[in-house]
Amino acid sequence: MREIRASRLLDDIRNEGLASLYPKERIRITVGMASCGLATGADVVYKYLNEIVADSDDHISVVPVGCIGFCQREPLLEVLIPNLPRIAFANVGSGKIKEIYNNLSVGKIGSIPADWRYDEDDFVIFGKKRKICDGTMPDGIKSTELYGKIPFFKKQLKIATRNCGYINPEDIREYVARGGYYALYKALTEMVSQDIIEEVKKSGLRGRGGAGFPTGVKWEICRKTKGNTKYLICNADEGDPGAYMDRSILEGDPHSIIEGMLIGAYAIGATEGHIYVRTEYPLAIERFAKAIREAESYGFLGENIFGKSFSFKISISQGAGAFICGEETSLIASIEGRPPEPRLRPPFPVESGVWDKPTNINNVETWSNIPVIIARGGDWFAKIGTEKSKGTKVFSLVGKIKNTGLIEVPMGIKLEEILEIGGGIPDDRRFKAIQTGGPSGGCIPQELINLPVDYEKLGEVGSIMGSGGMIVMDDHTCMVDVAKYFLEFLKDESCGKCTSCREGIQQMYEIVKRITEGEGEHGDIKLLENLGNVVQTASMCGLGQTAANPVLSTLRYFRDEYNSHIQERRCPALVCKALTSYVIDSDLCGGCTICAKNCPSQAISGELKKVHKINQKKCTKCGICFTSCPPKFKAVKIVSPVVK
Amino acid sequence: MSDNGKIGAALVVGGGIGGIQAALDLADSGFKVYLMEKKPSIGGIMAQLDKTFPTNDCSMCILAPKLVSVARHPNIEIITNAEIEEVSGEAGDFLVTMRKKPRYVDLEKCTGCGICVQNCPVRQIVYLDEEEEHIELRPEDRTIIEEILREYQTKKGNLMPILQKINKHYNYLPIGLLRYIASEMKIPLNQIYSIATFYNAFSLVPKGRHTIAICRGTACHVRGSMRILERIEQELGISDGGTTDDLRFTIQTVRCIGCCSIAPAVRIDGDTYGNVKTNQIFDILRKYK
Repeated sequence: MREIRASRLLDDIRNEGLASLYPKERIRITVGMASCGLATGADVVYKYLNEIVADSDDHISVVPVGCIGFCQREPLLEVLIPNLPRIAFANVGSGKIKEIYNNLSVGKIGSIPADWRYDEDDFVIFGKKRKICDGTMPDGIKSTELYGKIPFFKKQLKIATRNCGYINPEDIREYVARGGYYALYKALTEMVSQDIIEEVKKSGLRGRGGAGFPTGVKWEICRKTKGNTKYLICNADEGDPGAYMDRSILEGDPHSIIEGMLIGAYAIGATEGHIYVRTEYPLAIERFAKAIREAESYGFLGENIFGKSFSFKISISQGAGAFICGEETSLIASIEGRPPEPRLRPPFPVESGVWDKPTNINNVETWSNIPVIIARGGDWFAKIGTEKSKGTKVFSLVGKIKNTGLIEVPMGIKLEEILEIGGGIPDDRRFKAIQTGGPSGGCIPQELINLPVDYEKLGEVGSIMGSGGMIVMDDHTCMVDVAKYFLEFLKDESCGKCTSCREGIQQMYEIVKRITEGEGEHGDIKLLENLGNVVQTASMCGLGQTAANPVLSTLRYFRDEYNSHIQERRCPALVCKALTSYVIDSDLCGGCTICAKNCPSQAISGELKKVHKINQKKCTKCGICFTSCPPKFKAVKIVSPVVK
Repeated sequence: MSDNGKIGAALVVGGGIGGIQAALDLADSGFKVYLMEKKPSIGGIMAQLDKTFPTNDCSMCILAPKLVSVARHPNIEIITNAEIEEVSGEAGDFLVTMRKKPRYVDLEKCTGCGICVQNCPVRQIVYLDEEEEHIELRPEDRTIIEEILREYQTKKGNLMPILQKINKHYNYLPIGLLRYIASEMKIPLNQIYSIATFYNAFSLVPKGRHTIAICRGTACHVRGSMRILERIEQELGISDGGTTDDLRFTIQTVRCIGCCSIAPAVRIDGDTYGNVKTNQIFDILRKYK
């Protein structure tokens, strides 16, 4: 690898950033302040620390950062004392933060058990590690597990999310300190557009939005299309439910996207860029807008960047809550202010996109990979992953799993290993399936747990990579209900242009709904399969073409469950309301009256210290009795008997 | 042909679904049928409907094959854009005079491509009902809307940002303002409607002071968000999409707010609540007045 030669300007900014990342005189405390952190109370922690610091302490700086990915353990706090390893505290509530601060202020940091520590930081852009400490540390810190040995992080390789959780997303200098904008400098000063496209092609990078089209090939077509004005779009309309990697990058490292887009714009010859962000991500929009302003003030965006004859600007377009806008042609329609219905391709957007000009659209994660590919070279990137799927992929590991969060792992990792990262299924339940690819994907059963995850392998088993949501399901998840859930989603989000999609999904939904209500009929499964095939074949855009996947894949692997619903009128997973009922186990009930008091429909009768009973006629199956029954009794049960 | 000795053709007046079916039945029995329609095209009201009562069948799915059959049937001649002037004679021997309106298109050559419709300059003009020509806005509304329009008027693709600004300010899209921007920006009102009703974030009716966004993403679903929704609906006595009478709350399900790791999640205004349980709902809602 060649050394990146940087202009003086960049080096100056970098030094300022390093001084802020690794202060020599001060203690640096970082708080994970992405949406997930804020929801679990990171703002309280941040406010508390800031008030103290403002009042008394001037040798501490408190810095908001993005999400490191371990969302289950939010709020996360990291403390860096000069010459010591950086230590991380998880689940920092208002009590724990006081304890941490009190110990910190008297220099007794080792006495509070931390969750993990960092002895060095990975600077992936430079391909170097930076030592944080010289190895001498108090015993309390020494006994803390190293970051690289924590099961959640062990198998991760961070490229796209390299800066999330490390830098202050609102401070461009910290981004530059970690190698930011060096790849842009390299591209502008040492490479012509064909070199960049070659490098991206060599890397084997494929679109991370879901379809997996080779990025370099797309760029090349757009480059070769004639036209003076070309547009670049970052698709941040992350509509897949259960996926939030784009949000995390937007909130935690917006400059990596800007830099990726700049390099892409230079390679393609575009002068104007748009980022289309969904309105459900207000914080992401705010941070990205700030990042654009900052990049402009430092001259990374605007006219004559780095003194070259290359100019580029980015504007933000905001969605308004429509899943279909993630489809590229309807995204373009939405930007132009037309009703966002997809249109037939060809012409592809690379030939005729926004305002009929050639338009190159890539996903957030794709853009954020670009600077690393340019800095380290396509060959380096292509060494990671499998034969046809290169590099890493960010997945949101959520659902019924212990360690929920964002993970970035090399392509080809086995599902089993991903489950290990997640720490297994909570409450001693049994793993049942993993759902990938959002509403266009499918459910992969336990039997296929050894499956290596890449674009091809997921396709073979009837699912797709999609944007990277992985929803883990345990034996208390009803697969028919999951199919119903996705159909309900898709029937609402279908734009209605194609009859097969609009009516087909509606009919499938009604059939599956009937099944979950115990009204299933013999022949329904056959009908679902037929309908599914029609919707798949006759629809125009990706939404319709993949709409049947959730049904077809659950039918493929979980046909038994459909049969139990139809033939026995029971829901084995105890989810479908019409087929289940709540009862109180008379052997376990302690007669504490809590359930009766909490029941909103007065369906529970019973006296103190006597067994309670649920009146099935009054019960609305809200489940409050189930959640409020004290753990020492656990007397409320859900049952689903066979109905002949 | 018929047993009373009378032969000849039939005229079906009106090319709606009834007329179409009658024409098909007659034509299939061997009669020559003239299908006459006042409008420029056949299909009638049914072509404008989504579903038919009471079976909820897709109306276009029923109508479309019949339209094709009528057009292709060798026994049917379609006469559109025409009205009856006079009918005389008796059963079996009617004489009908009809007036065909001019359409300025050579039907022999027309392929129905529709480009003339797109390019017709007359269609680009906004027609407003007479009483709506001067849209009365409250002065404060006028200042707000004019400021928004000034900011975006010259920009390409400005409709979405303008609607978003209005939505942000009023929390919904007041009809009067939509009419006003339609006339100011020379955009047909129906185009604005088609955008305003497409997106989940827009509403044409006022919303409550606090919007409860219940995430219905997959992760939230498998962790029980449906029960949370039902509990909130029960607590407030309204259903998804509804607003309480005192305009305090609006319930709105959203498809994933990206807080999947702390599912089930609920967002009220700007505050996100993670790992929500049904028995916490009451305490959470109490915070919002």
